Amino acid sequence: MSRNIDRRTFLRGAAAGSAVALAGGLALRALRQQPERWEEAAFPSPGDGRVAVLAASDYDGPLEATVLDGLRAIGADVRGANVLLKPNLVEFDPTTAVNTDPRLIAASVLALRRLGAISVRVGEGPGHRRDVQDVVTRSGLADVLAEVDASFVDLNTAAIRRVRLRSRYTDLGELWLPTPVLDADVVVSMPKMKTHHWAGVTLSLKNLFGTLPGRVYGWPKNILHWAGIEQSILDIAGSVRPAYAIIDGIVGMEGNGPISGVPIEAGVLVFADDPVAADAVGASLMGFDPEQILYLSEAGRFLGQADRSRIEQRGEDPERLASSFAPPPRGSGVTAG
Amino acid sequence: MGREIGGIEYTVPFTEPIVPEMSIDTASLVARLQNPDGGSGPRLGQPSEPEPTALAALALGDERARTWLAEHQREDGSFATVVGPYVNDSATGLGALALGPGAERERALDALESSRAASADSTAAIPIDESAIGWAWTRGTASWVEPTARALWALRVARPSSTRVADAVSFFRDRECVGGGWNYGNREVLGIDLPPFVQTTAISLVGLSGLDHDLEARGLDTLRSMWRDEATGGLSLATALAAFRTHGATADAREVRIELEHLIVETELLGDGVALAWAALALNAPMPTGAP
Repeated sequence: MSRNIDRRTFLRGAAAGSAVALAGGLALRALRQQPERWEEAAFPSPGDGRVAVLAASDYDGPLEATVLDGLRAIGADVRGANVLLKPNLVEFDPTTAVNTDPRLIAASVLALRRLGAISVRVGEGPGHRRDVQDVVTRSGLADVLAEVDASFVDLNTAAIRRVRLRSRYTDLGELWLPTPVLDADVVVSMPKMKTHHWAGVTLSLKNLFGTLPGRVYGWPKNILHWAGIEQSILDIAGSVRPAYAIIDGIVGMEGNGPISGVPIEAGVLVFADDPVAADAVGASLMGFDPEQILYLSEAGRFLGQADRSRIEQRGEDPERLASSFAPPPRGSGVTAG
Repeated sequence: MGREIGGIEYTVPFTEPIVPEMSIDTASLVARLQNPDGGSGPRLGQPSEPEPTALAALALGDERARTWLAEHQREDGSFATVVGPYVNDSATGLGALALGPGAERERALDALESSRAASADSTAAIPIDESAIGWAWTRGTASWVEPTARALWALRVARPSSTRVADAVSFFRDRECVGGGWNYGNREVLGIDLPPFVQTTAISLVGLSGLDHDLEARGLDTLRSMWRDEATGGLSLATALAAFRTHGATADAREVRIELEHLIVETELLGDGVALAWAALALNAPMPTGAP
């Protein structure tokens, strides 16, 4: 069931009584008092971002046309590009809404081709389940990709290369990233719009955890939890640098996400040419204050645009489409209140 | 007793090893992944890594794979991938099993015995027995089910007198899901009872065999009740078959075997080296066993 919020609340950026703040973000708060933790040469000062919010009530409608509208609205240029779509595909549970819906993924493949992409493949390294074949098949993704003649690449087992980090939020120093990610001309982060009991929200930045190979980082990408979830989000996003984001908020997940939450019909798709801008708007659409999601506000310092005054809003009126997601539970490392 | 699947005969109940002329030549699929250096990568053409190489060595009984393992054994006896400051040595148990008796195996077992996951606090969000410590994916991080199962399997088979066997059993008792079986690491998070999964339950049962009858019985019942739900996955089916074989659950193994063979014919398990090696091991090879 969708629960819309009023205009004043949306403009304030947080639904009353449901601000999400990371208790575990104390270390990040401290970091923000310190000099930049990124190489300036690698991260030019963020420019303006473009975000389009479109209404979409279900997965059986004219999704390809809607995705095409959204991508055109943000000026997505994928002509001649090899595109990697990175959805959320964590594990499969038919009773809830954990994953980016396969029908939206297929629609995005078709829309990107119509915009001139020379190849579009779908890649994910599920964070929980080692048996990717089972997840891809039971979720329905294998069938819809077959229908649109698109391939899936398992990022947990793909070839990998070592990449030196250009930011220093973790002490990892380097990452091993799959070559399908590194060699793509364009990476599109395609998350489910959902809460996350450790990170606050899963949107296009947190979604990038799935680009790291489990066979190196363990399941559920265990090293990253020890290196700091928020810190890892920043370092990974600084390495993967997705060009675009498509957020699946047709049916999102509220409460105890990213696995055990409850589906919520938010009826919205978010498109952006900047993942930080996408997540700032996405969090607002969920009824959360983006500034209280500390990894997101930190990302706005170097990875993309989190300042709403510098995010060009296209598409439909986001205030009309905003919802009020139940926040993650108390005691989870995330405070709600 | 023989049965027909797709016109190809196989024999049930299987003995060990399963008849070598077995219908689905999974072993050749695994062999195809073997690199000129003798090791195997997670997919065709990828550099050799400890986990797929150790599983291939077990599945094929391949001496070149064992040689690769011996040559890539670390000074402390472990098999690892190093990521910045982190050492993922979770393949050490599989390496120990694959090496066979000898000095290299003993060194790998020494590494397993000296490796201990970081202790984690029991919290309201994740209540655990803090004293039940197993093995981690990565040194210095917390215990997880699969790496603990691998380590236990190796110690149970090759060094059953190890005191760490009891540690592992305690871990599996503590992390058992409600009703039996295992999730990835915890039984409860934020007040939610986590569900068991086929692959994690199966590998746990392979490790635990003969060490806690009631715990294993609940795990086997859970595996029986749920393996069909995840039968579209090769790794799940292969490890389930390995678990049923290890526990002498012949009727269950027969059913899983049929599904796994079909899946291999239809998909070749998508070329996943670890899944294929598990399948070849479970279908065709002797399972490493040992006195509990």
